[in-house]
Amino acid sequence: MTALFDKYAPLQARIDMMMKIGSDALGVKFDDIISATRGRIGNREILLAGTNNYLGLTFDEDCRAAAKKAIDDHGTGTTGSRVANGTYSEHTDLEEALADHFGMPSCIVFTTGYQTNLAAISGLAGDKDVIFMDADAHACIIDGSRLTNASTIRFRHNNPEDLDKRLRRQGEIEGGNALVVIEGMYSMFGDIAPVDEFVDVTHRHGGYLFIDEAHSYGTFGPTGCGIAEEQGVLDKVDFISGTFSKSLASVGGFCASKHPEFEITRKVMRPYMFTASATPSNISAARVAVEKIKSGGHLRDNLKARAQQLHAGLSALDFDLCAEPSPVIAARRPNEGVAAMEWNWLMENGVYVNLAVPPGTPQSSSLLRISLSAAHTEQDVQTIIDTFAKMKASQGEIMSGMMSKLQAAE
Amino acid sequence: MSAPTDSDIYDKICELLKPYNPKNLPIERSSGIMSDLEVDSVAVFDLIMELEDHYDISIPMEMVSDIKTVGELVNAVKGLTAE
Repeated sequence: MTALFDKYAPLQARIDMMMKIGSDALGVKFDDIISATRGRIGNREILLAGTNNYLGLTFDEDCRAAAKKAIDDHGTGTTGSRVANGTYSEHTDLEEALADHFGMPSCIVFTTGYQTNLAAISGLAGDKDVIFMDADAHACIIDGSRLTNASTIRFRHNNPEDLDKRLRRQGEIEGGNALVVIEGMYSMFGDIAPVDEFVDVTHRHGGYLFIDEAHSYGTFGPTGCGIAEEQGVLDKVDFISGTFSKSLASVGGFCASKHPEFEITRKVMRPYMFTASATPSNISAARVAVEKIKSGGHLRDNLKARAQQLHAGLSALDFDLCAEPSPVIAARRPNEGVAAMEWNWLMENGVYVNLAVPPGTPQSSSLLRISLSAAHTEQDVQTIIDTFAKMKASQGEIMSGMMSKLQAAE
Repeated sequence: MSAPTDSDIYDKICELLKPYNPKNLPIERSSGIMSDLEVDSVAVFDLIMELEDHYDISIPMEMVSDIKTVGELVNAVKGLTAE
């Protein structure tokens, strides 16, 4: 007879191995968050370079003031779903502002980014529809498709020709439609989708295109609408989803559509109907951040400059980077052990990045993933580059340290 | 093109599994793809895409979640190629 948690023994062994060489990279505890780019652990100040705070708005004066006012005006929580407890004026106001930003007639806000895709995809795809998803799609897209009875087919990452082939192979979908789901910028490698080509292929086959701009809303496009706007096809995309927990510096998510009929899904999306709605303060902070994004050309310019600076710096150090310069820059490491050891070394030397390992990464890769912020200064990025350079120069020492820690733990 | 035989499919799956099996664990029909061969969930789906392209079939994700062993994958491909 096995105990309930026995199935996690292999995972526990993997975590134990990580703990032998350092601390838990997936369970970092900060004692203080000082600003958009600084945290503190004990008496050490940490340069934050892995928090997806792309525009650095978490400490923006206007966003904070709006959140505080919303608490004073309408309280700390909604205590239930919009279906049960009703919609607050903040929810409606934000939905209208986002719909207006995209130039679309419909927008629905959700309580988290994860729930957004769970809700929207499960609301859109019925039994007879077929979902075609990019091979590197985020977990919330995969989980959203699992909430449906629709058949789901994966196509090769960022490859419109491969999508074309799979749509052709599927042939006519009797009584249903194709829903193609892609992302604007992919979170692990920071690579960008050819949205314009996906629009062509999807619509040529009579399908609908759904794009998740979680990492690209606010960071790309002349007014910050994302990759679809950047590539001049915003008006051709059927559905755009995104999150409030990155550029918008809050918690929540949204899905906008050029189809006014999208509104009907409010009555069927379980992750919308059966969870508490976002708090007035979260929504109000995001509402102000939308305006900051629309007029945030200077923030995007700084973010772009920092991305180019970091990409050039790490390339000059011969790091194997996963994509062209973007707000996410990931360095491929030889294996999980080396990546974990380096991640610990970077933390000890005052730089927080993300350790990303399989199965959460494409191509079973182990990564040191950096997400940049418009709040990072040129000096901050130079510090990241210098710390990576020092790490590279200390490779022998880091590896022998790993071996002795492993031996000591035997 | 005539439908591939059971052993054709088994051989093809063994060949496609090679890059995902760096430890060279023995592959049997009863081998659990994730549990015994230690192929992670993302790699399983990559393997599925290669099978789809080789046999020009669609193996939907919901079908894949019911497939645990190499033998079950052989049977699934056999069923789809016979259609």
